[in-house]
Amino acid sequence: MKSQKRKRRRRQDRLVLNLLIIVALVLVIFEGKLVMTMFTHRSTSSQTVNTDTSNTATASAGSVTESKTDNNTTATDNGNSGSLSAGSSLAGFPGNIETSPSKTASMSTVSDPDSPAIVPKAASPVDDSYFADAVFIGDSRMEGFRNASGITQGRFFTSVGMSLSSMASENIIQTADGNITVAAALSGGSYDKIYIMLGTNDLGEYDWDAFRDGFVSVTKRFQEIQPNAIIYICSVIYVEESKVSSGEYINNANVDKINSILLEICEAQGYYYLDLNEFLSNGYGALIDGASSDGVHIYPDYCKQMLDYLKSHYVTADKPADNTTADSTTDETEAGTEKSDGSV
Amino acid sequence: MTSNIRGYLNVNLLHEKKKGEFIIMKKITLLLCAVLMAFCLTACGGKEKEISVDTAKLADELLATVTSDTLSETASDMLPSIYFFEDGTIDSGTAYASSGATACEVAIVKSKDAKNTTDIEKLFQTRVDNQSELYASYNEGEVAKLDKAIIKSAGAYTVLCVCDDVDKANEILKGYGF
Repeated sequence: MKSQKRKRRRRQDRLVLNLLIIVALVLVIFEGKLVMTMFTHRSTSSQTVNTDTSNTATASAGSVTESKTDNNTTATDNGNSGSLSAGSSLAGFPGNIETSPSKTASMSTVSDPDSPAIVPKAASPVDDSYFADAVFIGDSRMEGFRNASGITQGRFFTSVGMSLSSMASENIIQTADGNITVAAALSGGSYDKIYIMLGTNDLGEYDWDAFRDGFVSVTKRFQEIQPNAIIYICSVIYVEESKVSSGEYINNANVDKINSILLEICEAQGYYYLDLNEFLSNGYGALIDGASSDGVHIYPDYCKQMLDYLKSHYVTADKPADNTTADSTTDETEAGTEKSDGSV
Repeated sequence: MTSNIRGYLNVNLLHEKKKGEFIIMKKITLLLCAVLMAFCLTACGGKEKEISVDTAKLADELLATVTSDTLSETASDMLPSIYFFEDGTIDSGTAYASSGATACEVAIVKSKDAKNTTDIEKLFQTRVDNQSELYASYNEGEVAKLDKAIIKSAGAYTVLCVCDDVDKANEILKGYGF
């Protein structure tokens, strides 16, 4: 009898033990995810706070002279960081930023941070009325900016998939009577500022010299149509490589390459370069994690930030709206020299 | 005999009188019916003109039919240059557009005059045609969505909806009188 009771107790104990193991397993499997998410969320929220500081950090990167050549390292860094803050819609720097702050400071978003063509931050921002006589030409990223930034002024000649060749000659700008060319659309009005955002759809173009020549040719044509317009060239915004599915050529190494060409064009032709990656970079030469659903088109929050950037980075009649009087005097002289072709 | 004839004539006269009254009654009834029908038709027309839509609520519901993209509200000042509305034809409008990744969009416009809705529909159709042409070489998968674009009017309101769940969108619109 006693042995039977013991057996029963043992069985009961085993049953309880098994149940406890099952419960523990269930907790580990399902709740573990929750705990992980909680930790990840905590880290991303602290990153969100860092977003504001990132602007200053990247802005100050402008004074760093180290040029960006190690694009492979950049891509790897981006890949690692992507897993850290996945799921956050407004993230900041990647999670390992705190462990390697010196690396962030060393990453510049332009090939020549000292280039006089780069528009510096102005002392005071303008309002939307500044864009009343502006025309924005660009691809789907510019179209997304129009749709989501909240901008209320300006004319937009945008088209999904716009590339250098289509901008030059194809009927891609919508009107009430069908699609027309960019040049034809541009001829329909008078504009004092032209913003161009182009290059994402040309990242697969490896004949960069041909791209350079083609770009200059098209912008010169635009200048002929609008001789009094200031020409702003927006940098190609970085991508989140892990999310891009439209082609391997859409990568940050190519973004850096095309941006260096665009900057050279600006220097040579007297155009103004807007380094949008100044606030859209994650500090490692890639788009901020979680800033886009497909790795290319940025979320509304970032479009709004882009509008703020444009409002605080502009040039007056003949010089960049710098925030220091001494510097502006120098800039004025420099700009005056550069604009000898009468473009501004 | 004569009294019989007289009696017969009197009955006939009475019958004739009743018949006349019956015809008049019939005419009056028909007239009343016509007036009633006219009133009914006018009332229906009036109802259509006076239709009122909570555009924000409708937009919210339609946004749920877009699952492949996150649409955001476009500044109303931008709408004339996107849809090419003629000056003075629009009372108010709201539009939610794509980040640039897809062709999805939702636009709800209230015309100043219900008669203008036909023109607004034409402009929306032009927008869809232009988009289809551009997306054909950019992202062909989006052309199928544009082919199923919903363009409908009710009263002074016109809706353009390019979405993923067309059936659901149509159902929602039906609930609002479209």
